[in-house]
Amino acid sequence: MTQHLPALVFLIPFFAAISLPLVAMRDERRAGSIALAALCAMSAAAIASLWTILDQGVVRYDFGGWAAPIGIEWVADEVAAIMAVAASLLALVCVFYAASLPTTAIEGRMIPFYAILLLLISGLAGVIYAGDLFNLFVFLEIVALSAYALVAVPGGRALVSAFRYLIMGALGASFYLLGVAYFYAATGTLNIVDLGQRIPQLLESKAVIVGLLFMFLGLGIKTALMPLHAWLPDAYSDAPDSVSPIIAALLTKVALLAWVRVLFWVVGAGGGSQPAVVFSLVWSLGALAAVGGAVLALSQTGLRRMFAYGGIAHIGLILVGVGQASHTGLAGGLFYLINDAVMQCVLFIWAGVLAHQYGVRTIEDLKNAQVRNPWILGSFLVVTIGMIGLPPTGGFFGKWYIVLAAVESQNYIALAAVVVTTLLTLAYFVRVLEKLYRGARDTGTSSSVAEPVMSLSFRVGIAVPTAAIIGLGLFSDRIVTILLAATSGLGL
Amino acid sequence: MLDVIEALLRRPNFVAFVTLFLWGLYITVVHHNLVKKLIGLYLVQTSVIFFLVTTSVKSGATVPIVDLAAGTAPEVYMNPLPHALTLTAIVVQVATLGVSLALVAAIYRRFGSLDENEILKRLE
Repeated sequence: MTQHLPALVFLIPFFAAISLPLVAMRDERRAGSIALAALCAMSAAAIASLWTILDQGVVRYDFGGWAAPIGIEWVADEVAAIMAVAASLLALVCVFYAASLPTTAIEGRMIPFYAILLLLISGLAGVIYAGDLFNLFVFLEIVALSAYALVAVPGGRALVSAFRYLIMGALGASFYLLGVAYFYAATGTLNIVDLGQRIPQLLESKAVIVGLLFMFLGLGIKTALMPLHAWLPDAYSDAPDSVSPIIAALLTKVALLAWVRVLFWVVGAGGGSQPAVVFSLVWSLGALAAVGGAVLALSQTGLRRMFAYGGIAHIGLILVGVGQASHTGLAGGLFYLINDAVMQCVLFIWAGVLAHQYGVRTIEDLKNAQVRNPWILGSFLVVTIGMIGLPPTGGFFGKWYIVLAAVESQNYIALAAVVVTTLLTLAYFVRVLEKLYRGARDTGTSSSVAEPVMSLSFRVGIAVPTAAIIGLGLFSDRIVTILLAATSGLGL
Repeated sequence: MLDVIEALLRRPNFVAFVTLFLWGLYITVVHHNLVKKLIGLYLVQTSVIFFLVTTSVKSGATVPIVDLAAGTAPEVYMNPLPHALTLTAIVVQVATLGVSLALVAAIYRRFGSLDENEILKRLE
């Protein structure tokens, strides 16, 4: 029974998405609670799966009973299992938070809305578990297509943003598929384990080099790596409040996980000096994205746009860690990836609550809003500490391992990029903090404005991921140990 | 130079793929009309699928159903996997087509134009 758990993690939201139109036919308001129930079940399956994998080792799930190189395989190793737990819990929190947002934008369309949302979440699980490059492509496209539709929900501006996102995303997918085609032409296999045995010997081959470049170009668009990020800020800031947290938290992170799979499980699997060029390309692009994203974040006036650029900078940081091609860097990068997903989730939920309860959309608005709600102020303080990277948050430990990896490989340019990004992050968060707390202290004029009562789902949506930021810090040792053990078999 | 031309002439499928791919990319980037952008996008997607199909051609091979008279040697049969991949990729492309045309229709209903500059002007 336990070996079926990874498939269940995918199948639960998938079947919920498909059966939603039937189950919720009578009353579309039930769609939200059915989605919540499905996500609860998915989270439980993901946690159980992580539990058994830690206990009994990696699960390789062969679909239809055909063994790996011929059949389709899902690999539920520790990395995938931890990521699946993070993704399903974050999705659960985001959908719970969305429950008390106004539904005027999706009135009469709640069933397709929640069905597409569930489809997106099941696609994320597929990307996390997929054991071959072509299935990775299919699941990335399921995620992307659902995301285009969800971004377009509010209409108006969002339609144009969604269209641009679609053009970029579909081009990225074509590039990735082209890379896969080159890999297939060169090796005759698509399975990641199989490719990991053949590609390292073929790194001189032009077909493999071109394939790798196209694959990275495609995944670079999907992860919004710095020069290819143009679709992201518009898409994230125009997306409806109810979906922006889930998109911001998970979409680029999961594509980045796919990138890490190709880098370490396929290209770097043989070890040696050949892939060194690839890794130095990765960390230099990452350093560029980290500093560039942070600079652009500093120049934004809209809250959500600022957070979106912050997310772009953090993608760069993860690549800096991963590109050091060491166990510390890889484990640190993956740990930071999980942290970043949680932090982006809190930031966008936070922005959604502020927009909904106080009408705040830009940093300037914060000064006049006089936000005195302890949930909002407290959680923002914690996220700020996490984004800057101070203990005891998970952000600190993630950055710590990335810095450690850079020092170990004596890569001082990467180190400088991390430090500069940290300082810039401090700068743009202090800007928000200053406005926020000045507004809170400013009791003079309009104390007659009653503080709006915060609904339970807003409180949960803010508090649970905020607690997770600190929790990830407290348990960082254990998680990084698991990640280190999971990646110890790679020939680094 | 001559050997480059010779290499190209020996791979007409590759030349066709590169032409279609770059043509599609050019249309997507240059044209302001949203539907034309989509046409460029489909050209790119189709060229990738074309590449996948043509690289897996095997001359003198038959359909991958075991024929006892022909024996079981792998050279006799086509590799069915690239075609299965192609079918899946076409399905993904069709889904993208559906979503993108729906978006374009929604944009046209909202802004009354398909020209990118016109739409951006109305967004201001």
